[in-house]
Amino acid sequence: MQGRNGLPVCVKNMSDNGKEKEQVTLTIDGKEISVDKGTTVLDAATLMGIHIPTFCWHPKLDSIGACRMCLVDVEKFPKPAVACATEAMPGMIVRTDTDEIVKARRGVLEFMLLNHPLDCPTCDKGGECDLQDNVFHYGIDKSRQAFTRRRVIDDQTTDAFDDKRIGPEIIRNMNRCVTCYKCIRFNKEIAGEYDLGAYERGNHTVIDAAPGEQIDNFYSGNVVEICPVGALTNTDWRYKIRNWKAKQTLSLCSHDADGQNIMLWHDQRQLWRATSRRNDDIDDGWICNIARYGYQYINSPDRLKTPLIKKEGKQVPASWDEAISLISKRFKEIKDSKGSVCLAGLIGGNQSVETAYLFNKFFRNKLHTNNLDYRLEYIDLKGSDETEAYNCLYRAPFTIADLEQADVVFVFGSNFIKDHPAINLRLRKAYRKFGTKVYTANPVETKSADISLDEMIYSPDTETAFIAGLIHAIIDNKYYKNIDETKAAEVKTMLAPATLDEAARLCGIEQERIVNLAKVLSEANNPYILAGDYFVASAKRHRTANGMYDLANLLGIKDSNAIILASQANSMGADRVGVRPRLTENLKKTLIDKWGEELPESPGSNTSQILNNSLDEEIDGLFILGANPAMRYPDGPFVNSALDKLDFLVVADLFETATSAKADVVLPLAGWAEQSGAYVNVEGRYQKFEKAQDADKGIKSGIEIIHSIARAMDLSLNLDNAALMHETKDIVDAFEREARDEAKFFEVKQAQIPEHDNYPYRLLVGNDIHHFGYVTEHCPSLMRFTPEPYLEISPNLAEKLGIDEETLVRIESTTGKLVLKARFSEYFEGDVLFIPNNFSATEVTGLVSREGGGWVKIEKLDDK
Amino acid sequence: MEQVFLKYIDDPNQHKIDTYIEHGGYQAIQKVFKEYQPTEVIDTVKASGVRGRGGAGFPAGLKWSFVPQNTGKPIYLACNGDESEPGTCKDRVIMENNPHLIIEGIMICCYAINAHHAFIYIRGEFAHPAARVEAAINEAYAKGYLGKNIFGTGFDLDIIVHTGGGAYICGEETSLLSSIEGSRGNARIRPPFPAVEGLYKCPTVINNVETLSSLPSIFNNGVEWYRSHGTEKSPGTKIFSLSGNVNKPGNYEVDLGTPLSYVINDLGGGIQNGHKLKAIIPGGSSTPLLMPDQIDTPLDYEAVAEAGSMLGSGAIIVIDERSCMVWVLMKLINFYAHESCGRCTPCREGTAWLKQLINRIENGDGQPGDIELILDVCDNIMGRTICPLGDAAVMPVRSFIQHFRDEFEYHIEHKKCKVETDYPFV
Amino acid sequence: MILKESTIKEIKTRMERYPSRRSAILPALTAAYRQVGHLDNAVYKEISRVIEIPYVEIAEAATFYTMFPKHEVGKYLIQVCHNISCSLRGADNMLIYMQEKLGIKMGETTDDNLFTLISVECLGGCSAAPMMQINQDYYEDLSREKIDTIFADLRAKAEEEGK
Ligand SMILES: Cc1cc2nc3c(=O)[nH]c(=O)nc-3n(C[C@H](O)[C@H](O)[C@H](O)COP(=O)(O)O)c2cc1C
Ligand code: SF4
Ligand code: FES
Repeated sequence: MQGRNGLPVCVKNMSDNGKEKEQVTLTIDGKEISVDKGTTVLDAATLMGIHIPTFCWHPKLDSIGACRMCLVDVEKFPKPAVACATEAMPGMIVRTDTDEIVKARRGVLEFMLLNHPLDCPTCDKGGECDLQDNVFHYGIDKSRQAFTRRRVIDDQTTDAFDDKRIGPEIIRNMNRCVTCYKCIRFNKEIAGEYDLGAYERGNHTVIDAAPGEQIDNFYSGNVVEICPVGALTNTDWRYKIRNWKAKQTLSLCSHDADGQNIMLWHDQRQLWRATSRRNDDIDDGWICNIARYGYQYINSPDRLKTPLIKKEGKQVPASWDEAISLISKRFKEIKDSKGSVCLAGLIGGNQSVETAYLFNKFFRNKLHTNNLDYRLEYIDLKGSDETEAYNCLYRAPFTIADLEQADVVFVFGSNFIKDHPAINLRLRKAYRKFGTKVYTANPVETKSADISLDEMIYSPDTETAFIAGLIHAIIDNKYYKNIDETKAAEVKTMLAPATLDEAARLCGIEQERIVNLAKVLSEANNPYILAGDYFVASAKRHRTANGMYDLANLLGIKDSNAIILASQANSMGADRVGVRPRLTENLKKTLIDKWGEELPESPGSNTSQILNNSLDEEIDGLFILGANPAMRYPDGPFVNSALDKLDFLVVADLFETATSAKADVVLPLAGWAEQSGAYVNVEGRYQKFEKAQDADKGIKSGIEIIHSIARAMDLSLNLDNAALMHETKDIVDAFEREARDEAKFFEVKQAQIPEHDNYPYRLLVGNDIHHFGYVTEHCPSLMRFTPEPYLEISPNLAEKLGIDEETLVRIESTTGKLVLKARFSEYFEGDVLFIPNNFSATEVTGLVSREGGGWVKIEKLDDK
Repeated sequence: MEQVFLKYIDDPNQHKIDTYIEHGGYQAIQKVFKEYQPTEVIDTVKASGVRGRGGAGFPAGLKWSFVPQNTGKPIYLACNGDESEPGTCKDRVIMENNPHLIIEGIMICCYAINAHHAFIYIRGEFAHPAARVEAAINEAYAKGYLGKNIFGTGFDLDIIVHTGGGAYICGEETSLLSSIEGSRGNARIRPPFPAVEGLYKCPTVINNVETLSSLPSIFNNGVEWYRSHGTEKSPGTKIFSLSGNVNKPGNYEVDLGTPLSYVINDLGGGIQNGHKLKAIIPGGSSTPLLMPDQIDTPLDYEAVAEAGSMLGSGAIIVIDERSCMVWVLMKLINFYAHESCGRCTPCREGTAWLKQLINRIENGDGQPGDIELILDVCDNIMGRTICPLGDAAVMPVRSFIQHFRDEFEYHIEHKKCKVETDYPFV
Repeated sequence: MILKESTIKEIKTRMERYPSRRSAILPALTAAYRQVGHLDNAVYKEISRVIEIPYVEIAEAATFYTMFPKHEVGKYLIQVCHNISCSLRGADNMLIYMQEKLGIKMGETTDDNLFTLISVECLGGCSAAPMMQINQDYYEDLSREKIDTIFADLRAKAEEEGK
């Protein structure tokens, strides 16, 4: 196998899995220790509490033994050995503290200091610098070097301290670099990114972005974090506060569903930075830029700080009392006059699980309505509250770290790097270290192509046909397990297209490739199928999910290995505590137990139905907490008219949004860092985060808001925060999914592909690589990566239409039009377009129908 | 004296396959295919005692026997023709004038270690030698000596010429592998050793051009014949590149164990223009000095080591009385600082610092204490680097100071040379 | 495109012989250098496209090696060895002579863009010192007289080609 960089990739040896590791016993500094075979001397010493200093070593990178700081003495070795790369051997006698070793380390430090500027007082890394710490520890005070220090400056170095910006967020000061190569190794080894390099050689080696380019990859913030010195710093944090003055609070990324662990650095009034808080179960200590810089919206000057009430068509500031009593009055009126079924609640997928639970309890238990949902992001739920197959796969008991044991992973419908930053890195690790084979099928080319053995690009809207084809391939070639031929024949009749040939033709992928994937999956010991956001956002995802369910059954794939991945920080949490109209039997029982009361009987409406019903004036009062459907839900015009039709709309949010603009009452909402709580990530893992700073006086948390509305309506929820935490955790823990029924098979029928004759290009809408949802516009760092919306287009199509980069292009669909600047995609090759939906200034969802994504025509605007 | 490498060196057509065959070429490999099992080839090479000519003198047969044969991965051979150690220009003669000898040697080695892919790494500046080797390979392919099923034996072998880009470090075996893989020529830590995990993470043998070129003669003439040349522990013949202040510099092939004086005086015509000998670098620029009274040292691995230096690549650099030793050392340290790959701290920073210190002495800015400082810096480099380039830079520094400390001290004190170097150019 | 079809073809032919296409980086740099006379970012970009290896990897490898000039040089790149064996046989004085002869300093290019003069480390011609390399060719056992002839010949050749 050859990777993108042409280097060989290891081949999996599954026989090693699960074997008991052999032990070796060695002696370090006079004490014996037994460790697993393969452990390095460094790790063995660390286990014993013996500290060996390092610069180039990193627990998650391959050792290169370059800095020579970790030298130790090994008996019978002719010369000192590097602890970081020397494997512990039986009977080895190691000393870490001899005079020779101390001299060697002092020597290394002296070498590092030769050209290192003595600017610790003005260096932002001061206080958390490995070099500074070691120099202090080894007591090197006097320099024997009398030459002018080497200064690396080039024509882009602007600053007096020889600082150079090498990326939207990254400043490099080469004078301080100790050439440990950690930054580059992270970039290439872990992230598979090629925008940073080492140039020249010897003493002239410099670290820099690719010539003429910037280091702006999605994980680039990590290079700053692992730089042991002040050579790489980020503009986000540098010179704002000294690290020892900042407090640290345990937190989580509040955006995507992976649950990356972060540490928030703050002084209670202001958040200053986020760093990783290594969790080997999830992120291995690497966080994406959204987790790193995506906290900044909390301190945005645009935050709402006072409630607004609509008076004579205009929203004007009001007091909390006034706002809450108005809400209580209007909700009561609607409830009393038209009934509970005319009230509804929508809550964003990144509210804490406690907020979500309280929201559920308030609506179901107090307002007696089942009209509530958390799915407000670019997927239209249509009539259904999802199907049996879909729900089963969505709630599958997946574990990120187990991916390392996968021998084959099939990623279906996902721009993985974007949708799941932590899972993506885990997959890359599995590929690189354990030889896991990766296959992908997507509507467009993605970055994951570089680790994919076959990246299959299916025609838009043919996901179902693709999976039907896969099932045909399995049945035709008898790759199935657990069923007999009769059953297989029966399953085959449940497929449309009815043959592999037809299916392949429809989705535009050669039969052989589909058969090959079927074969590989069937031969695997531990295969995975992971479906992401393209899958989720496709209108006919239920049909495709049926196919995925059947596929998993046919191949005997474990429950934990076939999953539709959740999208937002607390999507899973909201799902588990029941923020959706229909509940599983088990959850119903749990809630009734807790509440001591039956649940309301009406069937309840999901997001799609709520909007439809308000359009039909069947829903009059709506409470939207921390969500922005006017910007994020498909078919903007439809959402807007639905919201306009409402009698009474309450929106609680951090910012004024397209949705809040429609509200009768707007409430300033606290952000995640301004309260304690928990999120349930894509794996169903419950993780707490702590409050880092106090919210402004005028701002209240979702929990406070729900409580005050309830209280004003005399519907007190009687739950203090501690009790709420407990109760929520109980509900989350009690959650039981409905396991897959291995004997069950569903119909897999490709739906009619909508006509789009005059609109030849398929438009995909979603998150920009450096944005997530609608709040990251308020994160200055992320805005430096992507400051404005654009139309992403393949260079091929652009050439065909005479479009250059930066050209203004008019995009038109049956539902709307838009003018945007064109940008060439690094990955797209065909007639597919992409527009990010993270910018409030563009109403992208206006271009996307609820039936099946967006089909558009585009036209170059003559005058730029 | 009998010669192996340079026997037909004066025949202008020796580089052509027909001439090579006329002179008995490609007999050894056919014999090997017919009469030897791979392990027998290894045993024979072990018995011959042939040692690596790239510098370290490691027994070739032993190296081959480290290659694991059961990993399921391909095995590679890299023939090292980087030839960048100052003073060394011996491999070039073979590549330019006797390229088929190398090819035949490679074939023997590949058969022994079961490799089907060999690389010849040639320094980038050697455009012509590389072209000669490439032409020879093409001739061999045309004759069916390379490629699939060679000599009808069922054995496949491809040879690729890989030229460098100007980096001494790429002669070091792990850097050489990095360079073939397309990476920067950085040295890598060992273990894993290349024999186990080398090129493309597969088992790899690295041998010098001259080492591999020795092989045909062993199989043509027998182990005993081979061992009749050289000494007990250093058998065979070797090319010595004689350069510097002698009357007839050149490449001379002699039996190992031949006295140094024979090469310098009898073959090299003595010290240039009758000047007085000052010091000798016996094995390439990194090896410690031998002094005039050691001129009778036999040129074999053991004897030169006993004399306090190393046989190395066999590059004898003769320095006469007209040299200031600070100046000579400056030339050497500038080279090593320039060639450090920059991977590990002591080599990257240490060689650059030594360069600064020695240059300042040579330039008349030396400070009292500089010699001690230099020696201490040497201590901090020696044995602490990833690859031996650090040691290679330190050894001459220590040796020069040991033997000519007075010249360094004089330089520091008087801010000028004790001996004003001025080699004329006519 | 900077690289000619023939150069690209040569690169691809070489690439196919290796077990990994990444190994074609150095051969590609060599082929590009021989065609263009120097290397720069634009060349790296093209190589990157031809052998499908990330651009940064090409730039990293290229800048590691000192044999390829990284900016334009004269028609004849003169690389003079200034290492030990050559120095012991007058390379320093030879360099002075050559600078006088060409009317340029080290690292400079003559006004007519014919000659660029630089000094380099050992070229492996030690037994024929002093020596130099001009483009691909070695010139050894140099003397004043030889240098005069070499320069004159090259000038004449350039003039010939210029016609
Ligand atoms: C800095 C350095 C440079 C080297 N350069 C060369 C070289 O140019 N040619 C060579 O054959 N070996 C060179 N070597 C030795 C090689 O690493 C390796 O030992 C040798 O090629 C093995 O072949 P042999 O056993 O046949 O000698 C060098 C070693 C070092 C440390
Ligand atoms: S910039 Fe920092 S991380 Fe990168 S090589 Fe230099 S010291 Fe190491
Ligand atoms: S930490 Fe071991 S060499 Fe750098």
